Amino acid sequence: MSDVKKRTFVVTRFDPDRDQVPKTQSYEVPCRPDWKVLDALNFIKDEIDATLSHRWSCRMAVCGSCGMNVNGEPKLTCKTSLEDYGDTVEVAPLSNFPIIRDLVIDMDGFMEKFRAVKPWIIAAKQRAVEEGTYRQSPEQLAAFKQFSMCINCMLCYAACPVVSQEPEFLGPAAIALGHRYNMDSRDEGQPERNAVFRGEGTVFNCSYANECSEVCPKNVDPAAAINQAKLNAVIDWATSFVVRREK
Amino acid sequence: MKALLLRLEPVIWLLFGAGIMVGTLLLPGYLLTVALGAPLGVLPAHALAFERAHAIAANPLGRLVLLAIIALPLWKGAHHTRALCVDLFGNGSDALVGSLLYAIALAGSAAGVLAVLAI
Amino acid sequence: MARPANPHAMAPSRPGPTRTAPPQVPDDFWTRPRMRTYLLFDATGVVYLCVGLVALRVAWALAAGPDAWQALMTSFSHPLYVAFHALALAAALFVGVRFFRLFPKAQPARIGPAKPPPRPVLQAMLYAAWGAITLGLLVVLGGIWPS
Repeated sequence: MSDVKKRTFVVTRFDPDRDQVPKTQSYEVPCRPDWKVLDALNFIKDEIDATLSHRWSCRMAVCGSCGMNVNGEPKLTCKTSLEDYGDTVEVAPLSNFPIIRDLVIDMDGFMEKFRAVKPWIIAAKQRAVEEGTYRQSPEQLAAFKQFSMCINCMLCYAACPVVSQEPEFLGPAAIALGHRYNMDSRDEGQPERNAVFRGEGTVFNCSYANECSEVCPKNVDPAAAINQAKLNAVIDWATSFVVRREK
Repeated sequence: MKALLLRLEPVIWLLFGAGIMVGTLLLPGYLLTVALGAPLGVLPAHALAFERAHAIAANPLGRLVLLAIIALPLWKGAHHTRALCVDLFGNGSDALVGSLLYAIALAGSAAGVLAVLAI
Repeated sequence: MARPANPHAMAPSRPGPTRTAPPQVPDDFWTRPRMRTYLLFDATGVVYLCVGLVALRVAWALAAGPDAWQALMTSFSHPLYVAFHALALAAALFVGVRFFRLFPKAQPARIGPAKPPPRPVLQAMLYAAWGAITLGLLVVLGGIWPS
C-alpha cells in the first residue's frame, strides 16, 4: 500500500432538485499507481459519497459511456491514467451538453442529430434473399471502415468550438457516420443525406478546427469525414442542376 | 438571410477553398516582390518599373494572376472572419455578419475584375 | 476571451423530464494552445481580406499610369504598410503550413477511377507547388525574366 498516492478530485456536482447552478466538491482519494480517473470516481461513489452520479460501463474504451472533462479536456475516464496528472484533478461533465446531474449529460440532442443523418443502408429496392449477400471488396470497405469505428462517446462534441456556438450544427460524430454510409458501396442514399448535410445542420458550419480528431479515442478522424463530406455535398449540389432526381 | 446563406453555402465554400489554396500559393511571391521588394528598393530598378509591371499585368496570364491575388484572398478572408466572429461573439448575428463579409468579398471581386480589365 | 457555450448547445428539441443545467465550457477552452492556434488561423481571415483590398490599389495604379504607380510604391514603403505586408507574409506562411497539413485528409478515398496520392506524398507535392510558384513569381516580378 506504500505506492498509494492521495490526490484531490474537484468534481462538478449538480442536483436539479437542490441546486440552482452546478458547483464543485472536493474529495481526497487514495489512488493506486495503475488507476484511471474512473477508478477514482468509483472509489468516491463506493467509499465517500454515494450521491455522485456518473456514467460508465465497459471499463475498456469501447462502450463510449464514460466521457467527461478531465482538467478541461474531454477524455474517456476509463482510459485516462492518473499517472499523467498531478495532485489535483478536475472532473467535469462533457462541455457543450446540458447537464442532467453531476457528471451526467443529456444525450437526447446528440441522438436527434444522429437520427437526422439517416445512419442506415438506404436502397431503392429491398435486396431479395435469392440474390444472395452484398459483395464488397477490401477497397470498398476501406473507403468507409475508419468512420464506422465511432463508439458515440461524444468527446468530439465536447471539443468542437462550433458545437459550442451553433446549436443547429450536426456535429462531428453524426456527420462522420452519415459520411460512412455515403461511402458504403451498398448504399444509395447519398442524395437524401447530402440534403441533410446542406440543411439546417449544415456541414459547412465546420471551420476545420480539427479538435474533434484530436480528442477522438478511436482514431475515427471525424474532421477528415466532415471535410470529405463537404466536397461530396458540393458535387451533389452541382450535379443536381444537371441530373433530374426523383424525390 | 440565413436561408439564403444556406443555399449559397456550396458556392461560398468553393470560392473559399480556391481562396485558401490558390491565394496562399500566390501570396508569398506577390508580397515579397510587389508589396515589399519594390517599395523598399530591394529589387533591381527595372524589375517593377511601371513599363515592365504594366506589361506583365496587361498580359492575359498576368491579368488572371492579379485578379486571383485580389479576389481569392477576399473569399478566404470573408469566410474565416465570419467563423472568427462566431467563435468570439456567438452565432446571434452570424447571418448578418456573414452576409456583410461576403458582400465585401463580392464587391471587391467585382472591382477587381473591372480594375484588371482596365489595365 | 471566456466565451461561454451557447445556452442551447446540444439541446434536445423537447425538454426532458428533469431540469438541466446549461452547457458549460472550461474557463480555458478558448485559450488552450491548440485552440489558440485555431483562432489565429481564423484571424488570418482579417489579414487576407485586407490583402485582397490592398491588391486592388495595385491594379488601379497600373491602370492609372506611371505617376499613380510611383505614388503607390512610395505609399507601400511607409512603415505601416511594410509592417502590414510583413504580417500578411507571416499569415500566408502560417495558413499554408496548417492548410497543407489538414488538406490531404480531406481528400476522398477515390475521385472517379483515380485514388489520390498517399498523404505524405500529397503534402510534399503541395509544398513543391508552393515553392515553384513562389520562385516563378520571384523570377518574373523580380526582374530576372523576362528582362
